[in-house]
Amino acid sequence: MADEHALELIDLRREFAEKVAVDDMSLRVPYGSFYGVVGPNGAGKTTALSMAVGLLRPTSGRALVQGIDVWQDPISAKQRLGVLPDGLALPERLTGGELLTYWGRFRRLPREVVAARTEELLRILELDEAEALGTLVGEYSTGMRKKIGLATALLHAPKVLVLDEPYEAVDPVSARVLTRILRRFTEGGGAVVISSHVMAMVEQLCDRVAIVARGQVVADGTLDEVRRGASLEDRFVELVGAPEADEEELAWIAT
Amino acid sequence: MDRDLISLKFTMLRNTTPGLRKAGWIVGGVAVLATWAVAILASGDAVRSSALTLVFALWGAGAAVGPVMTSGAGVLRPDYFTLLPLPRAALGRGLLVSVFVSIASGFVLLALLATAVHALRVDPVTVVVVLVGAPLTWVLVVSLSRLVYGLLGAAMKTKLGVEIAGVQFGLMFAGWFAGWMIVQVAVQSVPRLLQDGLPEGPITTVVDALPTSWMVLSVDAAAAGDWARAGGLLLALAALDAVLVLATVPLLVPRSAAVTKRSERMRSRGLVAGGGILPATQTGAVAMKEVRQWRRDAWRALESSTAVWTGAAIGVFALLAGYESVASFAGLIVAFMLGLSACNLYGQDGSAVWQNVVGQDETSVRSDVHGRQWAMLIVFLPRALVVTVPFLLLSQAWWTVPVLLAAIPAVFGAAAGVAVLVSALGVSPGVDPRRRMGPNDANGNIALHVWIVLLVVPVAVLPTAAMVVWSQVTGEPALVVAAVVVGLVNGVGAAWVLARVAIGYLSTRMPDVFTRIRYGQVFHGSDRSDDGLLAWVESTTLKGEQDLAAQKRKQREARLARAAR
Repeated sequence: MADEHALELIDLRREFAEKVAVDDMSLRVPYGSFYGVVGPNGAGKTTALSMAVGLLRPTSGRALVQGIDVWQDPISAKQRLGVLPDGLALPERLTGGELLTYWGRFRRLPREVVAARTEELLRILELDEAEALGTLVGEYSTGMRKKIGLATALLHAPKVLVLDEPYEAVDPVSARVLTRILRRFTEGGGAVVISSHVMAMVEQLCDRVAIVARGQVVADGTLDEVRRGASLEDRFVELVGAPEADEEELAWIAT
Repeated sequence: MDRDLISLKFTMLRNTTPGLRKAGWIVGGVAVLATWAVAILASGDAVRSSALTLVFALWGAGAAVGPVMTSGAGVLRPDYFTLLPLPRAALGRGLLVSVFVSIASGFVLLALLATAVHALRVDPVTVVVVLVGAPLTWVLVVSLSRLVYGLLGAAMKTKLGVEIAGVQFGLMFAGWFAGWMIVQVAVQSVPRLLQDGLPEGPITTVVDALPTSWMVLSVDAAAAGDWARAGGLLLALAALDAVLVLATVPLLVPRSAAVTKRSERMRSRGLVAGGGILPATQTGAVAMKEVRQWRRDAWRALESSTAVWTGAAIGVFALLAGYESVASFAGLIVAFMLGLSACNLYGQDGSAVWQNVVGQDETSVRSDVHGRQWAMLIVFLPRALVVTVPFLLLSQAWWTVPVLLAAIPAVFGAAAGVAVLVSALGVSPGVDPRRRMGPNDANGNIALHVWIVLLVVPVAVLPTAAMVVWSQVTGEPALVVAAVVVGLVNGVGAAWVLARVAIGYLSTRMPDVFTRIRYGQVFHGSDRSDDGLLAWVESTTLKGEQDLAAQKRKQREARLARAAR
């Protein structure tokens, strides 16, 4: 092992004009861990993860994948990374199978390996029926897009998975499949980082958690360290703060 | 409700860019004046009659093509009303009525009323025919315009819609490049038209058969005392109106999902199973993906179909104007248009460029650039040939064959090279792929890109041009052969050298290309130098993008301020 951490963010910072989106954020993701990054909308989760995988240049700070700096040695780092970004386009006019074939060959996997893995991923993620119909990725539902995105992240057998909102809009049956795949991945020594705002799911899946607010990590560690006996949601609301509910507001909806 | 829709339409139009609309008004006003001038200046009754039928046919064609260029017709999109509890027929009628209440449709009516001049000259009683015929023809022309746009607005969703849009854009580009040929023919023939009318022959037969001519023919029939024929023509016009309106209304209302049938699509089972025609290499993978995007993505397909129709339209212009040898170069225009069609490939991909960033390895950038070039060649070369061969046969200008053999590869190479370089330096994302609707959504601001392509392609093919001129002047067979060889080498060389520059640029800047698309700005590393031509193109195009965004923001703020008052 080149380094004791699968993924490490060191004082990562990103400023957009006046706004500081990510404020000197540091995170350490050990090997074999299932790491959940939670935070309210606009907390800087996606921005931080984009910098960690080489999509967005940081203002300052570093991101290391197995000890390799993503911005100093991008090629070695990116070979070890599997990425599922949130809300970005794909080559929309390919079918799922064509997309995986393209992606596998683009990542220079041998032809037979690409064909076998494509077939297997489509089958396990239950995208084979859509493939038989010739459905294009642009016509996929949100949940199917997540699944095909996850397939592209897994295809080249990376060591570290960085997944932005992987469970969003995925149906319960597929979610189980997803969980099974990701657990298997961590059992094999890989590390998974997911972002989410569904606390219950993070609690159920992850062994480590970081709570992010206003571009900073406000709490991190093992699940129990962060929860301190309360539920993750209570702890989250306590740290992030919630507006006081007013009995009078929107009174008309109950009429 | 019709009134609500009309006022909604005008409110929305006030919020769109005013420049284009004003230009449209001027063009329309001039066309109305020209129509009246034809009616007044024609030398005799028969001449006036045939001249008017021709002019009205042009109005019909203009109304069918016009809406794509201006925004008026598409302002009220059916989808806006999907969730309102309105009967579909009422909504469709309202949307159709809203089309008639517009400046453009007013121009059409004014132009049609020029027939009154003709009626007064032949027999004042026949003005009655005009009073009935002009509104009927007006309904015909305006519904036709909406029908064509409706087919198109199903627009980017069907192959036919893309093709119609391609014809329209093709005519527009052809007008820019070669409109002078048409203007010249028009300048020569208008006085003759006003003096002698249309020459007898197939043209008159065709023009007379067009419904836009029926009102004029009806006036002539009435003047000759044949009121039965006059009435029959008007009745036929009314019947046609009814058919057109009935055909148009369903296109205007929101379509339910059940209507969109999945068409049988070509699938690539073999490819997914590890086969495929293209080599299973990194470059082959990119070419495979790109060819499919070119074929299946409506916006890419529009680019390639525009290229074909621009070539075809210029060929037709040239044949009509009597420049036969120019017509045989129509296919070369397709090759040239490749440069314009592909000058914003990364912007067309939109945020999907993230794959190029996270999938980066030692060779990925090179494979990406070359793969895209191969795909351009695979997609556009057959199209260029499809246009070249018929025009070559029609023009019979055989001496152009060796010139074409030299020029086509040279222009292809130069265009494929500069296009990929410009699209790397000047990424200009339009609407992100999944949210695209209208035919102009795929690109942001590509004015500079177009100019660079227009300038670089001619410069890059200079060696071939020089050889062709030399070989044609001397007529030496050996030189003719040499010119073809130079053309080929020139093309390959230009494509390779320009790709080389693009690869050098992209190898460290893929993340910047992505952030331009995703965040509309570039966050430079410390290792960057800001001088040189490439940096200039990069920053100028970026500034163009940001200015466009700022302008939109400002317009929005101005509107909000107006609304607040």
